[in-house]
Amino acid sequence: MAETTLAASAGYDTEHHTGEHATATGISNTKLGMWVFLGSECMLFGGLISTYLLYKDRVPEGGISPRDIYDIYFTSASSFVLLMSSLTMVLALAAVQRADYSRLKLWLFTTALLGSTFIAGQIYEFTAFTREGLGFTTNIFGSAFYTLTGFHGVHVTIGIVMLLSVLILAIRGKITVEKAETVEIVGLYWHFVDIVWILIFTIIYLIP
Amino acid sequence: MTSVNTSSPRSRRSVKLLGLLGLALISSACASGTPLDTLEPDGAAARTIQDLVGPVFLIAGVVFVLVEVGVVLIAWKFRARDTDDDDTLPAQVHGNNRLEIGWTILPAVILAFVAVFTLVTIFELEERDDDAIAIGVEGQQWWWRFTYDIDGDGETDITTASEMVIPAGTQVDLSLTSNDVIHSFWIPRLNGKRDVVPGRSNTLSLESDEPGYFFGQCTEFCGLSHAEMRMRVIALPQDEYDAWVEEQMTDGPTPQTAAQARGQEAFSGLCASCHSIRGLENQPGTGENPIPLVSGVAPDLTHFASRRVYAGGLFELYDGEGNVNRGQLEAWLRNPAAEKAMAPDDERGMPNLGLTENQIDDLVEYLLSTADGPVWTGPRND
Amino acid sequence: MAITEERPLALPSGDPARPSEPHLGVFRRPTTTTGWRSWLTTVDHKKIGIMYGASALFFLVVGGVEALLIRLQLAAPNGTLLSADTYNQVFTMHGTTMIFLVVMPIGAAFANYLIPLQIGARDVAFPRINAFSFWCLLGGGILLNSSWFLGGAPDGGWFNYAPNSGVVFSPSHGIDFWNMGLIITGISSLSGAVNLITTVINMRAPGMTLMKVPVFTWMALVTQFLLLFAIPVLTVAQVLLAMDRLYDANFFNVSAGADPLLWQHLFWIFGHPEVYLMIMPAFGIVSETVPVFSRKPIFGYPFMVFSGIAIGFMGFGVWAHHMFASGIGPLSVAAFSLSTMFIAVPTGVKILNWIATMWGGRLTFNTPMLFSVGLITMFTIGGLSGVTHAVAPADTQQTDTYYIVAHFHYVLFGGAFFGFMSGFYFWWPKAFGYKLGEGLGKFNFWTMLLGFNLTFGPMHILGLQGMSRRVYTYDENYGFDFWNLVATIGAFIIALSVLSFIINIFVSKKRAASLPPVGPDPWDARGLEWMIQSPAPEHNFDQTPTVAHLDEFWHRKYAEGDDGRVRRVATGDEVAQPGDGTGVHLPSPSYWPMVAAFSLPLIGWGLIFNLYLAIFGGVLLVVALWGWAIEPPDDIDGVHHDHHDADPSGDVEATGDIEATGDASADAGKADVTAEAATDAAAVPEEAPVG
Repeated sequence: MAETTLAASAGYDTEHHTGEHATATGISNTKLGMWVFLGSECMLFGGLISTYLLYKDRVPEGGISPRDIYDIYFTSASSFVLLMSSLTMVLALAAVQRADYSRLKLWLFTTALLGSTFIAGQIYEFTAFTREGLGFTTNIFGSAFYTLTGFHGVHVTIGIVMLLSVLILAIRGKITVEKAETVEIVGLYWHFVDIVWILIFTIIYLIP
Repeated sequence: MTSVNTSSPRSRRSVKLLGLLGLALISSACASGTPLDTLEPDGAAARTIQDLVGPVFLIAGVVFVLVEVGVVLIAWKFRARDTDDDDTLPAQVHGNNRLEIGWTILPAVILAFVAVFTLVTIFELEERDDDAIAIGVEGQQWWWRFTYDIDGDGETDITTASEMVIPAGTQVDLSLTSNDVIHSFWIPRLNGKRDVVPGRSNTLSLESDEPGYFFGQCTEFCGLSHAEMRMRVIALPQDEYDAWVEEQMTDGPTPQTAAQARGQEAFSGLCASCHSIRGLENQPGTGENPIPLVSGVAPDLTHFASRRVYAGGLFELYDGEGNVNRGQLEAWLRNPAAEKAMAPDDERGMPNLGLTENQIDDLVEYLLSTADGPVWTGPRND
Repeated sequence: MAITEERPLALPSGDPARPSEPHLGVFRRPTTTTGWRSWLTTVDHKKIGIMYGASALFFLVVGGVEALLIRLQLAAPNGTLLSADTYNQVFTMHGTTMIFLVVMPIGAAFANYLIPLQIGARDVAFPRINAFSFWCLLGGGILLNSSWFLGGAPDGGWFNYAPNSGVVFSPSHGIDFWNMGLIITGISSLSGAVNLITTVINMRAPGMTLMKVPVFTWMALVTQFLLLFAIPVLTVAQVLLAMDRLYDANFFNVSAGADPLLWQHLFWIFGHPEVYLMIMPAFGIVSETVPVFSRKPIFGYPFMVFSGIAIGFMGFGVWAHHMFASGIGPLSVAAFSLSTMFIAVPTGVKILNWIATMWGGRLTFNTPMLFSVGLITMFTIGGLSGVTHAVAPADTQQTDTYYIVAHFHYVLFGGAFFGFMSGFYFWWPKAFGYKLGEGLGKFNFWTMLLGFNLTFGPMHILGLQGMSRRVYTYDENYGFDFWNLVATIGAFIIALSVLSFIINIFVSKKRAASLPPVGPDPWDARGLEWMIQSPAPEHNFDQTPTVAHLDEFWHRKYAEGDDGRVRRVATGDEVAQPGDGTGVHLPSPSYWPMVAAFSLPLIGWGLIFNLYLAIFGGVLLVVALWGWAIEPPDDIDGVHHDHHDADPSGDVEATGDIEATGDASADAGKADVTAEAATDAAAVPEEAPVG
């Protein structure tokens, strides 16, 4: 997902270049760009979720279907972990805005850690499903499930990379109150990915 | 069989309706000899569409003329002149809300008018007669298969290829599906087109006013030989249709000559792994080996010689006088992929069986013995 | 990401003393602004726009040759020039090339070149992403066309309906190239859309409220929103198809329970907005040229803007009209038939408003105006035939016949391309400093009009006579011979016309050497882009203009006299900025956008042929992004000492009154922004409003 990283990283030259000047809206280019980009991401996940919804019940007789395989308790737990990471993200932003840099580092680290826990859970889930006989090519449900959740997982991973980058900058003292927006923009992306997961979790796991 | 005069009277209306372009008028002048013409309906559904299209074309034509003439007139009337003072400008009009709202609403009203008739027609075309005859249509690369369940027991009684025979004056209720990719079934003079989609069953109705011979063409791009996936619909008078059904229900031929017998043997040995002739011991798809085709089906040839066309409607078996085009059939058997674009190596299309000339002669003899002659001997309506 | 203090000074244009302290990044930023190398590393929106245009013209020739092959094959029944297989590849590539590598990039070319100039900005919001977008487009185009040499081009049509696009039915790698190539051009469009949307929303000159934004920029903005929401859906469809073809997934495997209509829905949810995003920039162009050559303002600016927005919205609600024959059921057919009819309303408003703009004007028929009127008249035909197949029952007769081919060529060629030609002739002097010759230009127009109508007019008739699309041959007794021959002759006339355009470029450039310079305002035009010298200086505006009106530049040239007549009060030369960029800071060029973009086709080829190549491409991408991220960014703090406080030209100040009015009329929020800008002016005076 090259565009993700680009939108996030490339903003950072113009943030200095033009963002510090007044923009017509008062929102910096980078932040606006991220919002616009996330609008596009909605359509991406919209397409994938629609595909999943169309296909989940079309498994031919005798094939592995969603009901046979989901471990609702495990996934609820990992979803909770991801949700909590949104909370720590908010705390990180609040910390940098009041110039509490040690807390900033703590919360950034916690957010990345929670995200990584979620990804670890997803990897565990994938391997468990594969062991139970649902591969990517096994049937139409498998293809749709792995593609949708895999795409989300890649998004979370990119988010973790972004968080760690900000964390490194913060450790090197480059993130100051004036640069709080960098944290905010990464946060925007992170919250978006979380919200998408809430949708996916509801649609895939909760709705029978 | 008797020939029936099928040249339906050229609709006066069709000339009137061609208001789209000045060019379209030329089209109607040149319209003879266009067997796929969409503006010369010979059936109820096509006429319903035509009745809707006509006024729409007329409205479009009027708007077209108004706009084009208007632009040209305005361009002339307000052209810059040498005498103009370059430093003063014409009146600077920024807009006129009332006018603009007017020309927003006016087209909307016209379109709403069109929309009402469109909606009515959409649902009208979905109506089916109670006594409609059901025919199954299956598309596959690159030919059409038609199945008839005459006694209504759920079993297919008649299977034909490339040529669908229907009774004139009776609605036919088609149920369409595909055995591989998406195709589209279209007999322009009888109705609009309907896609055949693998895994789905679509419906379409056909009804021919008079007996006739109608051309069709697959219209959804379906791969290599899409252009050569053609079909015919033959509408027969009811009594001839009944006779045709009776003939088609019978088994394939019993060889009368030594050549036919050799041909039958060759057919059983070489062709029957894909093609069926009812009554033969060897039937495709039985035994160990499935039919070696992606679509899983090849044309049924039980009454091959009763059809005017073969190879997906590409070749005429009979010429205008009813004589067999023997050379083309032999060439087809010799190397099918040279005659029609196909991909036999990928199990899509008829492979080259490496037949000897003697085998080809015998096979032709045998295949031509499958019927006395073509079911349709009237004009081809093209 | 705050490393400002360690950053070297970026290259200020016109500042010879380039600082040379150590860099944070591994490489120095490139500094060339002239010569061929500068084009590879440029982040200048104008150069990038020109590169979009040049590559689009190249692909136009490629797609045009494909079109001529198609026409030669169909000139007579049972043509044998091309085999069925080759023909299928050629028409697939003709459509794909013309849509994704010609029409969309020309739209992007105009948007890139013009948007910053029209809104009075220094550049786009993210200059490096802008370069990345272009190189992605080129990389995707090269990847796609490399299929010709690597086992065969895609052969499933530009729409690639499943399951015919599956590996069983299209075993060559062609469709894999199609997937990879268009995913990459999709990344290009998407990143471009984010960039340009941000630019238009955020970087308008002080005083330029949304209802003072030029119509072209408005239409380009609508285009970018359409891209933003439509492209991801295509990407999803292509990812699913690629998963099927390369990794045995089951998305379009009917025997595993897949529904082939999923592809159609995804493709057309993208595909129909796509149609509008191709035509919108041309609508914008015509809305700029017609007022100039009518010497009147655009008639009904708000209606033009809102109808464009309405088309954008409605464009997402009509996709299934491509599926009237697919068997989606009468209710869906009825609903989409209705929505399709009513999208004609805002389109009709546009046509009538252009005509009303001409009404009462003083019309000069220069080449740009001729092409614009060409669009109005030809697009009308396409729009009307569009209404005839919004009538769903009629569409069941027309769809997938040459009637449709005629329709969308009237829309995309008679509409979009005529508009683009108008734009080329109109803005050519701004971009290159010389006018394209009128003689060859008029030849260009009339041959194109003639060739176009000869080619595509008869296709209406062919379609109504029942000639299907995408057939490589037809029978001699179908009655299609005559009009096909006419169409083929027309196609070669179009080729001649395009050739005359290319010749015109070179002939006019040569001739321009002996002519006086065109000056900033050769057409007595209206928008801010004409307020700077021609060719546009690298830094665009010496001073960011403050905007009080729509057509700000025109308002500085003309005023209403006591007698109520509008008279010229200044010439364009007097009002225009002199092009002195002293002290203006510009973003520095960069290698990384190109490196990052070219790693993508490597990944594409790698996924098709060899995973190691893909891994190499992936590593290269990571390196490029890393280099991009830590590349010393531009700095604005160090360079602004010498500045044109002593700017000799006083013309701009002459309009101070207007600016004051503009500020006063701005709403409270805007006033705040202006105030902030004024505060900034202390530190960065060249971007501050004057007054």
